[in-house]
Amino acid sequence: MTPATLDNRRTGPTLPTATPSGLSTPADTLAIPFAEAIGQPGTFPFTRGIHPGMYRDRLWTMRQFAGFGTPRQTNERFHFLLSKGQTGLSTAFDLPTLMGLDSDDPRSCGEVGQLGVAVDTIDDMQRLFEGIPLEEVSVSMTINAPAAILMAFFLAAARESGCDWTRLRGTIQNDILKEFHAQNEIVFPPEPSVRLVVDLIEFCTTQVPQWNTVSISGYHIREAGSTALQELAFTLADGRHYVEETLRRGCAIDTFAPRLSFFFNAHNNLFEEIAKYRAARRLWAEMMRDEFGARDPASWKLRFHAQTAGCTLQDRQPEVNLVRVAYQALAAVLGGCQSLHTNSMDETLALPSEHAVTLALRTQQVLAHETGVAEAVDPVGGSFLVESLTSAMHDQARQYFRQIEDRGGMLAAIDSGFFRREIAEAAYAEQRLFEHGERVIVGVNRFEEPEEPPIELLRIDPAVESEQVESLRRIKRDRSGADVERALDRVRQAARSPNENVFPALLEAATARATVGEIMDALADEFTRYALDRE
Amino acid sequence: MAPATAVPLEKHLPRTSTGRSVPPRIVLAKVGLDGHDRGIRVVARGLRDAGFHVIYGGLWQRPEAVAQAVCDEDADWLGLSLLNGAHLTIVPRVAAALRDWGCGDVGIVVGGIIPERDVAALEEHGVRGVFGPGTSVTAIAEALKAQVPLADLSTDEAPAEVRARIEMSRRLSAIAAGDSPWAANGNGRRSRCIAITGSPGAGKSSLLCRLLKGRPAGKRVAVLACDPESPITGGALLGDRIRMAELLPDRDLFVRSLAVPSGSQGVTPELGEMRTALGEAGFDLTLVETVGIGQGDVAVRRLANKVVVVLQPETGDSVQWEKAGLLEVADLVVIQKSDLPGSDRLAAEVHEAVNLSRHRPGHREVPVLQVSASRNEGFDALRDWVFETSMDSGPASEPDEHSLEE
Repeated sequence: MTPATLDNRRTGPTLPTATPSGLSTPADTLAIPFAEAIGQPGTFPFTRGIHPGMYRDRLWTMRQFAGFGTPRQTNERFHFLLSKGQTGLSTAFDLPTLMGLDSDDPRSCGEVGQLGVAVDTIDDMQRLFEGIPLEEVSVSMTINAPAAILMAFFLAAARESGCDWTRLRGTIQNDILKEFHAQNEIVFPPEPSVRLVVDLIEFCTTQVPQWNTVSISGYHIREAGSTALQELAFTLADGRHYVEETLRRGCAIDTFAPRLSFFFNAHNNLFEEIAKYRAARRLWAEMMRDEFGARDPASWKLRFHAQTAGCTLQDRQPEVNLVRVAYQALAAVLGGCQSLHTNSMDETLALPSEHAVTLALRTQQVLAHETGVAEAVDPVGGSFLVESLTSAMHDQARQYFRQIEDRGGMLAAIDSGFFRREIAEAAYAEQRLFEHGERVIVGVNRFEEPEEPPIELLRIDPAVESEQVESLRRIKRDRSGADVERALDRVRQAARSPNENVFPALLEAATARATVGEIMDALADEFTRYALDRE
Repeated sequence: MAPATAVPLEKHLPRTSTGRSVPPRIVLAKVGLDGHDRGIRVVARGLRDAGFHVIYGGLWQRPEAVAQAVCDEDADWLGLSLLNGAHLTIVPRVAAALRDWGCGDVGIVVGGIIPERDVAALEEHGVRGVFGPGTSVTAIAEALKAQVPLADLSTDEAPAEVRARIEMSRRLSAIAAGDSPWAANGNGRRSRCIAITGSPGAGKSSLLCRLLKGRPAGKRVAVLACDPESPITGGALLGDRIRMAELLPDRDLFVRSLAVPSGSQGVTPELGEMRTALGEAGFDLTLVETVGIGQGDVAVRRLANKVVVVLQPETGDSVQWEKAGLLEVADLVVIQKSDLPGSDRLAAEVHEAVNLSRHRPGHREVPVLQVSASRNEGFDALRDWVFETSMDSGPASEPDEHSLEE
């Protein structure tokens, strides 16, 4: 039997603490200054957790990502999940919406409602959250390039339903930098894209004070094939850039920093993942307090959502995915996440069926209520291995920060292709390990089954597209074209002046029933569209 | 101008070695809105390492642009990466576009998320392999090498223009393989050739894209984009095409990616013959983008009518290039990213260097143009030079007059 090796060479750089025998000793942690680098949970630098009591006081939020078809269908799934014990909502939008296109756009053909819910107007947003008390249930929306528009739809819809914005809790992903690194849901060039991110941060900081304005994400970077270290370093670097830009806007750090949140991957290598989360907290705390001079401890605390690694799911013996997800969820919880999504076993080939997503939720519930891990705070803290890995990842992430600086900062580094190259090389190295049999994937290159019974997969009814297109047609017919035109002109005007926040104009457009595509086009008139022009 | 009809050329089957091995060519592309490209990039590298010439088409490709790529690149295979659940819409559209371009016979393979129940439908549209998650790249490479693409049955019904283009495309492949079994049709037209050279990061491809975007109406231009071939595997990852994505599909543009063996000094040695093939097909101008390793660009001086050197400020380019003697062969120097500090100074230094070092009588001044993509400045002057000024025959430096290859 091949012992699992903790040597990180297989997924990236070799960590200094890795020993050939796989055994860590006190010698590995001697040099780590305890108070400065580790401390206690709830105290700077929060390596051990952002609260003294962690899950003893409050469990992580069980927040399953969901969305498909029409807003009505997703609304049904939302109610279903809440009935099964989910404690927060998380919205997946379809590709046209993610790319800022309407359901009736020719480029959307075949893709409406397939990978998420189709949202074209404020009316769709209302239908999406029908019957859900927004002042009580926190809502997350996974959207990036058109995030400001969807946020405006959400706020305008909430207002129309009589909700008080100051009582709304939730998160919008709104992290465009990682799109340039990895996921490619890009519409505008980097500078105006970042401007939109900051507009949202600025607006919501004062108007929707309980809202997490960004979910600075490493998940997608990891899914694109990066190492754990790259995930850590690039995400924190992205965070730094947003802070710098928001400060340049004139906002005071302690007003907005407490509402910046993070989103990490929960991957296979248990201890490396735990170390990654702990290093992330330490790096952020140091950055906020020491680099940016934040005074409010709330600004120093890195809060994160985690999702188990989609890229590790397999279509052979899919029930084995249940097991993978359970271990990955364990890593996230031992690592102190505030919110968690567990993947469903059938997600390699389709969106989750009700049965599969229920099991995914149950995975979290067993973890929370039966294993006892929630009773202890940072239970692996003090482990020679975990502390030495945490410290090493912290230091190596800083080396990456320097490399980015050497390249002229975030935007210059993006322009040079630095992040994409790093990620592509790591992905390729990983693939080679798999091809040579050095990376074992159970059921795929070892322990295979000759015959496998098919499992039930969710089918998205193709009629969804025509239903949504018809609904959109009716909205366009019934709204005031003049109001929409006026609102879109306001959007263009706001976009044109770099010192104006586009939100008021977006809210007006939302209320006039302008569509996502129309508003994106108006913005594109000023920002131009990004041409992806490198390998 | 109607393309010349040459003797029809059989598709090279199977690829045989004629002094130089001919690797299989595959276009890899993503069609649709999905931008997840980890898989396709890994497959691209893996196939390169397995000895393929991989033409990476990038994201958000339209079916028609993909079809043009398959035609112009004379690809044996088309690999589509589809993870967005829209494969039953996309594959038929791609298959139809391929037929429009006369490439209905290309082998289509699909990677990504394809449920078992949909495979049969895809096969009906010509898909010959579906590679789901967890398939090793080695297995993909072997599967592709094992299957021999079909003969060109479909082009018989295609319009003459479509057939002519395919034939020209295949002729280029034959030339690249070292075979020239084609019969010259005697009209002797030879495409004028401008070589674009510069260090790898200088942005030659983006420059080409902008140059072509506003070109004079009716100009039919061919682009030969050279990238290095691995001396070990013979494979190559040819990614220059991506920068042209917004220009295509366009039947007045012909873009071909060429893998250039190491030691060829950055440009395909068969350029002369390719110019004839392209000229006879009605492409009056050929832009050759060299690998740009900056060494021994004597080859390009011999093979092209004009040489354009592309530099960037703040990279120390000019000093290196001066040392390599490259500036001596330039007919035009373009400074990219002229919005960066140091651009004016670089332009002045280079202007001095290229014009003082020519002591021959009849020396024509070598212009130095500054362009900025972010400000969209300087491209009109560049276009004027490329499409007008450069077309006059120059003095004795013109290789056509004393071509070393004839």
